[in-house]
Amino acid sequence: MAKVMLEVRELTTKYITRFREDVYAVDHVSLKVEEGKSLGIAGESGCGKSTLALSLMGYYFPPLHYTSGEIIIDGHTISGMNADDVRRSILGKEIAYIPQAAMNALNPTQKIIHFIEDVIQAHNPKTTKKEIYELARERFELLGLPASVLQRYPVELSGGMKQRTVIAVSVILGPKVLIADEPSSALDVTSQKMVIKMLRDLMEKGIIKSMIFITHELPLLYNVTDDIMVMYAGQIVEKAGAHKAVFDPLHPYSKGLMGSIIVPEQGLRNVKLTAIPGVPPNLKKPPSGCRFAERCQYAKPECKAISIGMRDVGEGRTYRCIFTEQELREVYKNA
Amino acid sequence: MKGYRKYFLNKLGWFAITFVFAFLLNFILPRLMPGDPVAAIVSRLAQGMSNTSGVQAIYQQYSDLFGTNKSLLEQFFIYIQNVAHGDFGFSFSQYPRTVADVIKASIWWTIALQFPAIIVGWLIGNTLGALAAYLKGGFDKVLMPVSIFVSNFPAFGMAVFFMVIFGVNLKWFPTSGGYGFDLIPSFSWNFIWSVIVHYQLPFWSIVVIAIGGQAIGMRSMSIYELNADYVKYSRFMGIKDRKIVGYVFRNAMLPQVTGLALSIGTMVGGALVAEIVFSYPGLGTTLLRAILGQDYPLISASTLIVTVMVLVANFIIEILYGFIDPRIKAVQSD
Ligand SMILES: Nc1ncnc2c1ncn2[C@@H]1O[C@H](COP(=O)(O)OP(=O)(O)OP(=O)(O)O)[C@@H](O)[C@H]1O
Ligand SMILES: [Mg+2]
Repeated sequence: MAKVMLEVRELTTKYITRFREDVYAVDHVSLKVEEGKSLGIAGESGCGKSTLALSLMGYYFPPLHYTSGEIIIDGHTISGMNADDVRRSILGKEIAYIPQAAMNALNPTQKIIHFIEDVIQAHNPKTTKKEIYELARERFELLGLPASVLQRYPVELSGGMKQRTVIAVSVILGPKVLIADEPSSALDVTSQKMVIKMLRDLMEKGIIKSMIFITHELPLLYNVTDDIMVMYAGQIVEKAGAHKAVFDPLHPYSKGLMGSIIVPEQGLRNVKLTAIPGVPPNLKKPPSGCRFAERCQYAKPECKAISIGMRDVGEGRTYRCIFTEQELREVYKNA
Repeated sequence: MKGYRKYFLNKLGWFAITFVFAFLLNFILPRLMPGDPVAAIVSRLAQGMSNTSGVQAIYQQYSDLFGTNKSLLEQFFIYIQNVAHGDFGFSFSQYPRTVADVIKASIWWTIALQFPAIIVGWLIGNTLGALAAYLKGGFDKVLMPVSIFVSNFPAFGMAVFFMVIFGVNLKWFPTSGGYGFDLIPSFSWNFIWSVIVHYQLPFWSIVVIAIGGQAIGMRSMSIYELNADYVKYSRFMGIKDRKIVGYVFRNAMLPQVTGLALSIGTMVGGALVAEIVFSYPGLGTTLLRAILGQDYPLISASTLIVTVMVLVANFIIEILYGFIDPRIKAVQSD
């Protein structure tokens, strides 16, 4: 078995709002990503994908707060570490982040190269500007970005170029884990393709060792990642290999989600698109039972009463439901 | 750089056009005031004279001297010619002093009072505003209402307030003039000390108002910048908070620089009130006297100085801005 690059056990974090309300947006999330693998995270807007991405960094600042759980990167537990140590020896170096709306992630009044200098010197204060420039130029060219970008201000770059620049800057220190939050949303198709190709290159060229890719565009995940996790209301509801997750989902929510999208490949032309009725629960007071029960057409009274655990059906497949695999397949067939 | 040159020339063009109009208005507006200033001077000189034709002759002489018997258009061209040679003519109200003389004597007082006051107010205000945004909590909760209150205080109110509290009640500082009325300007310790003491009340009454306004602006700019995406991203790249705060304040500061330039440009007009309340011997007091005495040449020259200062400050800022802020440069070069 390959080395595990990122392991997360029962990670729980919450937002504390200005009005002192708690929002439980990441609730007992566990996951594993092996060396050379990528994991996709899907789920509808507001289910906590971005919050999970932030929580995985192990570096918390208001309004996000750590509650419990463990984050282990390449064998080192980073949860519970002193915040300044995390900043210096983990962020950017072991684990890096590409924010949602990466286009706005660069300081508008700073040249790209100066930001890179700040990033590298935050970790290795002794590196000279010349070394940094050489490293950056080499890395940018390896990733197909012109070196002239380094001397530009963010406003002088197009949206797609900015996005790719942010990605190149994020991985400048060669992190083991890259977390990309919707890196290609809000881009035109051509730029989107270039971004995806760049992420693939990062893995192939060994600049990063593993990746978590977050998006609401399922077809994209299916094409890019090895495994897919489906999130609902702050919890993982299903995890499986990409193909299984898309074409043979088990959890009723995943089933509904996959039914609401078009995956061009498999000739599903005459499949009716369905929408899931209802709205997700309020994360300030999540229900104690199954969080999807309210919207689930197969729900039984028990679903709302007892907390539902994950079921492991082997081959790396897990899902969170009161029904067994058999029972689920049975009801789906009759539907 | 080609785009930038176009930007520069464009700004220069606007600068020239604005200047011409301002120059025109500076000349015409004071002269539209009702009343005859020459008659006022003559009646002052001719006090006790009963000889009507003598008074008439004096009147004639002064009208010739000041050129008031010519048409406005003629006066204007003569005025342009003279100004081009740096000659602003005689002051009506303080005849036989020339306008240049009067202004030279007062402008340094104004600059020495307002320039440091504006800079100090700007620095303190911006620091406080930035700190309020960064520290939040109690500091912010106290500073903000105070700043809003203070910055909305009318200038004369603040000056009178300072005068009553620190001058009249506490008697810490003198309440009027630029130095003790019994002293003659000299480089003696006595005189310098008197200037310093007289400086305090007008100075702080201007500073306090400036602090309030700047702090409010800087606080909102900093809050906006602190929530910008690049702050979060920089944090997750492991950059130290201290450095990130540096980015934030630099960016928040850029719009504040415009504010600084404008208040330097408008310093004569803006804080004229403090000078008047404290009878400070600066341009503000001079301008007030000129208006009361219908002293056209002095009014025109004073307002011309104000105009030129505002225009130059604006111009410099717009040019500098293109260099400081790449966003503006990018827009301008398109
Ligand atoms: N700063 C915050 N303070 C309080 N609650 C927040 C904050 N940011 C997000 N939330 C809440 O946390 C939940 C999860 O938000 P999150 O941004 O993680 O969703 P998401 O899955 O990334 O959605 P999207 O697909 O729209 O990006 C939402 O209910 C949201 O209202
Ligand atoms: Mg999101």
